[in-house]
Amino acid sequence: MVDIARSPGTGPVTKEKIRRFDVHQIIQHAGLMVSFLLLVFTGLPLKFPNLAVSQWWVGVWGGIEVTRTTHYVAAWMMAIVCLYHILYLGYTILILKRPFPVKIVPGRQDMIEYYQEMTYYLGFRKEKPRIDRFSWKEKFDYWAIFWGMPVMFLSGFIMMYPVLVTKFLPGWIVPAALVAHSDEAMLALIWIVLVHVFFNHFTPSSFPLNTSIFTGKVLKERYKEDHPLEYERLTGASEPGEMGE
Amino acid sequence: MKKLSLYFAIGFVLSIGIILLSHDDARALDENNCLSCHGNEGLIKTTDTADKISLYVSEKDVSSAAHRYIDCTTCHTSNPHDTATPLNKLSLAEKCGSCHKYEYKLHLASIHGQQLLQGNPDVATCVDCHSPNSNPHSVIRVLEYNAPTYKKNIADTCAKCHGNAELMADYGIVEKVYESYMRSFHGKALQLGTYEITQLDKATCTNCHGFHDVKSVRDPGSPVAGLDNLARTCEQCHVGAGAEFASGFLGHEEASTQHVAPVHYTDIFFKVVLSTVIAFGVIVVTTATIRFSINRWRK
Repeated sequence: MVDIARSPGTGPVTKEKIRRFDVHQIIQHAGLMVSFLLLVFTGLPLKFPNLAVSQWWVGVWGGIEVTRTTHYVAAWMMAIVCLYHILYLGYTILILKRPFPVKIVPGRQDMIEYYQEMTYYLGFRKEKPRIDRFSWKEKFDYWAIFWGMPVMFLSGFIMMYPVLVTKFLPGWIVPAALVAHSDEAMLALIWIVLVHVFFNHFTPSSFPLNTSIFTGKVLKERYKEDHPLEYERLTGASEPGEMGE
Repeated sequence: MKKLSLYFAIGFVLSIGIILLSHDDARALDENNCLSCHGNEGLIKTTDTADKISLYVSEKDVSSAAHRYIDCTTCHTSNPHDTATPLNKLSLAEKCGSCHKYEYKLHLASIHGQQLLQGNPDVATCVDCHSPNSNPHSVIRVLEYNAPTYKKNIADTCAKCHGNAELMADYGIVEKVYESYMRSFHGKALQLGTYEITQLDKATCTNCHGFHDVKSVRDPGSPVAGLDNLARTCEQCHVGAGAEFASGFLGHEEASTQHVAPVHYTDIFFKVVLSTVIAFGVIVVTTATIRFSINRWRK
């Protein structure tokens, strides 16, 4: 691996790994990924119904009834994953008495890191920002779901049961839900394909795939470079000269 | 044993030959051999006013038409050459109506039929919807996949006239009815669906507006005129839908500040969020790509 070789070669390259995610987090990401992909595959043709490729693709699934049912099933699956996450959060905080995961809460430090990262990309700064447990991109991905999920779930529910919903809410809520669902879905899809996939597949440090969310573990060397602040706290050792400064 | 296999071989060759050589194309019933003359493309008659009228009937079309087993004389009388037939849309509809009495009655009561009776040649009559080329000799049965009246094709058939902005402007129909239908979930379902029979439960133009008895949307008797009528029409498929449900239908108009404003503002809000966030993402990814490329190049 290029990135291991690149770290200053004092002593043998260690294969030691650090645990980053627990099994619940791995399952949550996998569930989210699978349901998201199913939703995209069965939902995207509806955005471009006049394209021959959409018509062909729906035919591959076995017709619009099949894509619709799959979309419904995947939607409930995604909702369950989100519920799982909320319950997991509550369980770890209230029952296991673990501290509230403040590391995921965005703050001033993220603005600084964003600024440092951009200036690094633009060549005004020699070093990447030194990241703690989560980078601003990871936080953005996480909180985008907190915004996107309610939007997608509510608008999707309205379209799934329009007759029921209009018994309580005004009629325009249905076309409004369609607009919101469609635009928010495109936002999520473009963001995931553009930013999430880019930074977790195509950057030098993660190519071809950043496996941490699938295995839960990260190589020590990798951790030191991607999350130096947390690494130093975990190992209790700051290694001057290693990362520059 | 040798003999037996020889018999098998001969039998095989014979059966293949029979399959290959036999033609089983349907032929139009033509008891009086009309097609021997009228099957020629060049057959033309010149009227008193020196207009040239083609008397050609395509054998191919008529052989696959719904009425292929009804002899020519059924419509054209047993003495066709001596019968004066001023052919126009109304007389054509009348002829169809001599058998299809119920449909003819509905058609004459419809907005198309009403205009027809007043001598308006713009409107659709029987063959305009039931034949791909508005030709009575190529009327196709409704449930054949290539029929203009087959579920998947109906919107395109209506759009032959209703998609023509110039023609529609004469009648004060300014909405882009075809495009807006295709944008709707009903239209999407039909576009993405196949020609299979399951498509029959999807709503197209005729499901809401009616077909033989289609009415102007300004006619209070139209199934889409007023929220109450519209709700009853929705309820045909959406069980239990009320007037509130029907009020959510944007019609054939796009949402705007005048028309269902909340939808318009929702659209603007999400479009702004979408473009802002994506622009932000594009900037980060582009600069990162440039940086990583430079780093690699320098190494």
